[in-house]
Amino acid sequence: MTKLMHRDPVEHDPDKEILRYRRGQRIVHAVMASSFLILLITGLALVWSPMAFIAAGGWSRYLHRIAAVGFMSVPFLYLLTDRAGAKEVLVDSFKYDKDDVAWFRYMYRYAIGRTADMPPQGRLNAGQKLHHSAVIVFSAVIVLSGLVLWWFKADLSVTTLSWTAIIHDLAMLALTLLLVGHVFFTYVYTAWSSMGTGYVSKEDMEMEHSKWVEEIEHDATDVQETEVVRTEDD
Amino acid sequence: MEYAFLLDMSRCIGCEACVVACKTGNELPIGTQYIDLIEHTSGTYPDLQGGFQNHRCYHCIDASCVAVCPTGALFKEDGLTRLNSSACSGCGYCVQSCPYGIPKMENGRATKCDGCASTVAGGELPWCVQTCPAQALKYDQRDLILAEAHERVAAIKGRYPNAQVYGETQAGGLGLILVLPDDPEKLDIPADPPPVPVVTDVWKNVVQPVSMGATALAAIGAGVLGIIARRNHMAELRDIEEKELAGAIAGDSDAEEVQP
Repeated sequence: MTKLMHRDPVEHDPDKEILRYRRGQRIVHAVMASSFLILLITGLALVWSPMAFIAAGGWSRYLHRIAAVGFMSVPFLYLLTDRAGAKEVLVDSFKYDKDDVAWFRYMYRYAIGRTADMPPQGRLNAGQKLHHSAVIVFSAVIVLSGLVLWWFKADLSVTTLSWTAIIHDLAMLALTLLLVGHVFFTYVYTAWSSMGTGYVSKEDMEMEHSKWVEEIEHDATDVQETEVVRTEDD
Repeated sequence: MEYAFLLDMSRCIGCEACVVACKTGNELPIGTQYIDLIEHTSGTYPDLQGGFQNHRCYHCIDASCVAVCPTGALFKEDGLTRLNSSACSGCGYCVQSCPYGIPKMENGRATKCDGCASTVAGGELPWCVQTCPAQALKYDQRDLILAEAHERVAAIKGRYPNAQVYGETQAGGLGLILVLPDDPEKLDIPADPPPVPVVTDVWKNVVQPVSMGATALAAIGAGVLGIIARRNHMAELRDIEEKELAGAIAGDSDAEEVQP
């Protein structure tokens, strides 16, 4: 199944484009994004009175729960479609090096669209690592508080219910702000294709993720050298 | 103007006429009723005392059901707690929060007495008040109802020394003023129902509006900054392209010069 997910029928020039997200990762992203947007809209209907009409009659509650199941399935879906990718994201998102720390010092430059002279970055820049780790933590909080509101509401006092709802609302606020930031950087750095075709401009990557490009090219050279050695041996 | 019901438990004979009138007048479906008459007997034989708890919405002025309702289906009007059933999302928060255990879920939506809003708007008295044969029920402006409740308590004090008015202060004041012949606990009515918790108030009136405001500000800020930042990034890319082009041209002319 993993091999099937990696197959891509469109030819991409390796000198101009780099595969950043494999098909499995893009599917997982699409499931996460669509379920999150449904959860946001159906949840907003319970917070913002002009949208309360969506919740009237109760159908949005069912939609919220269906989307919640989709959202909760994301880690399992990731493991199923791209185990290596899931492990890579998890490990990379919580591992910072000296360049990442330096990147945070100049983050304001990156936020205003200036990447020149930013410290060199790997596959994920320091901001993406922080974004990923925050998404993981707040998703865990929102899932746990949501499950309590879903399954154990009848056992809660009004005080406990209010506390649980506050935790749920604040976790959603954090995730929504992270989404705003995510869309912001995707727009500024024209990164839509990374979750569309999976390929991104090599030139952009050399500016923003130079360590990763070097790593890929180094790996490619190693493979070529190994092939040459094999041919000579034959 | 605030209105209220008067419910004189010293006069209630437990005939259930109010239950029937409410159910038929409001055309409530099978299994749904807004008034429950619960018989109470205390003491030991032969010294027994009987009474009824006319269990119905107390129309709290500081109503916790209204405080937690996320869609505004429950709201205060004329001092009473109304329910717009079509706006109910069926979350059940009102069921959890009511200190009197009044709202119930029927077919996925909350139900409770809404003070016969449409009947009163049509110039009639609420169905239960119209029907009560013992004059235990009355509906009027809240201050007039309170005055009458005190008069009635004064009138029965000789017979019921513990008689009292209930609902003047509880839960911020009630829209159902009771004349009780005895302490409220004797009829399983909480003497002092818990107020709406501060944390509920914080959730609805601080966390939610602040979250909405923060999200809106972030979206607007990101929109404005996004345009500036993208312009900067595009300029940066153009600079790089121009430098590369200049380098390539310089490279070409060097190569031409070298050629004989």
